[in-house]
Amino acid sequence: MIIVIGAGPAGLAAAEAAARNGSDVALIDSASRLGGQYWRHRSTVTGFHSNRADELFAKVRSAQSITYISEASVWSIEREGELIRVNYLQGGAESSLTAEKLILATGAYDRSLPFPGWDQPGSMTPGAAQALLKGHGVLAGQKVVVAGTGPFLLPVATGLAQAGANVVGLYEAHSPLRWLLSPKALLLNISKFGELIYYARLLRQYSLTPQFGRVVSRFDQGRVTISRVNSSFALKDMKSENVEADVVAVGWGFLPDLTLGGIAGCKQRVDSDGTAVFAVDANQLSSQPNIWIAGEGTGIGGADLSLLEGEIAGLVASGQNVSSRLRRKRGAKQVFADALKRSYPIGDGWRSWSQKSTTICRCEEVTLGDIEESVVELGAEDSRTAKLFTRAGMGLCQGRVCSRNVAEIVAGLTKCSVTDEECVASSNRPIAAPIALGLLGDGKK
Amino acid sequence: MSEPVSFTFNGAVVKCEQGQSIAAAVINTGTLTLRTTRFGEEPRSIFCGIGICFDCVVVIDGVANQRSCLIAAKPGMKVESSS
Repeated sequence: MIIVIGAGPAGLAAAEAAARNGSDVALIDSASRLGGQYWRHRSTVTGFHSNRADELFAKVRSAQSITYISEASVWSIEREGELIRVNYLQGGAESSLTAEKLILATGAYDRSLPFPGWDQPGSMTPGAAQALLKGHGVLAGQKVVVAGTGPFLLPVATGLAQAGANVVGLYEAHSPLRWLLSPKALLLNISKFGELIYYARLLRQYSLTPQFGRVVSRFDQGRVTISRVNSSFALKDMKSENVEADVVAVGWGFLPDLTLGGIAGCKQRVDSDGTAVFAVDANQLSSQPNIWIAGEGTGIGGADLSLLEGEIAGLVASGQNVSSRLRRKRGAKQVFADALKRSYPIGDGWRSWSQKSTTICRCEEVTLGDIEESVVELGAEDSRTAKLFTRAGMGLCQGRVCSRNVAEIVAGLTKCSVTDEECVASSNRPIAAPIALGLLGDGKK
Repeated sequence: MSEPVSFTFNGAVVKCEQGQSIAAAVINTGTLTLRTTRFGEEPRSIFCGIGICFDCVVVIDGVANQRSCLIAAKPGMKVESSS
């Protein structure tokens, strides 16, 4: 049997390919519906090219050899001889499954950067606004600003406008001209222009004009300050404008969720954009035998790449060969993923947006001033020491939101750069989801 | 249409559709704040919306630190802000 964790594009493609080739598959996901974050829906998936989702859902649902386990949070993975045991929580009870093979497709979440007011109610990630709307049919607010960087801002802004929100501003920190740095990626992925035209039409329909080279630099009780930045995100001048909005949805690309692969001992590497990701071979195999990884966990690349990686992982895990055509398609999407990283890099100028009183670690309420003190007064020379002094990254989210930002702030203060070891170490967590000791005690194996 | 779900948030009755998360149901009533923080007593709402950040944690029927963005509202639930 093959266990697939994650029912987004990569996990669905992996499960479908494996089942098509005669494998029994258990597909485990934490949500109540198929689709993951990108194809989140209530009754039907909407957005560009959403028929792909419906086709895959239908195949996965109708496959007799796929067992779909929904609303299950995997909290640990262990080896038992030749077998892999996956422990999960479902409906308040602990269960587990064993299989010879495991495919991890655990996706990604929005990267956030701190700015004054980013911890106030109403400030959220674009993913949160999208999840509220697509998953629950709720508008986060009536007047919304969408900002940050990357192509994901387009579906979020247009989706909110379609649902009746007044999108009062769409601010992209980078210039679209950065795409000119990647002519090969554009030529290899001509189909992407169709997607661009799709969103351009929607933007025009809702009179949304994206403004480039601008960021949300402050949010205070409904007042949003928009500032101009240079290509490394340093504030350009003192000139800023204010707009009124009850929600600011600000996102800076994505970070892969590395928790489960980390627990399973899969080797990580640092990607070209400085993000810790899993090292996999040409067959999506991780450093651990019989554990394959597909999708955002191997490097942020979007749904198209995730689908191909998932299909390849599913084929190889069921003992099939991968055609050179499929490998070439994946190659073209990887070139596009590299171009995304080149077009929307996170400049270190964001560190100047915060003030001493600005929260950096939301869970433990650690401010920029606290982190500066740990370095300047207490002599912390790396992010681990600063974390021990301040508790930044030691709260409920286990540093998923702030650890990379803390590492970069400490590196800036000590005039160093973040080392690869720091980058990888900050993503390791021994337990993936909170679990009560009582449940562990009662656990039946 | 399925029966609406009714639960309480800090004592006030909230009605929502089946399957909606507690956070979505409360935000739909026009209330963004889900809790206040332990140290600074600052108001917080949902932030990541997908169970990563734990900013939206509430007390559900006496059990603390439950992520309101992930947990579907059930009839009769007693939901309170964490602190």
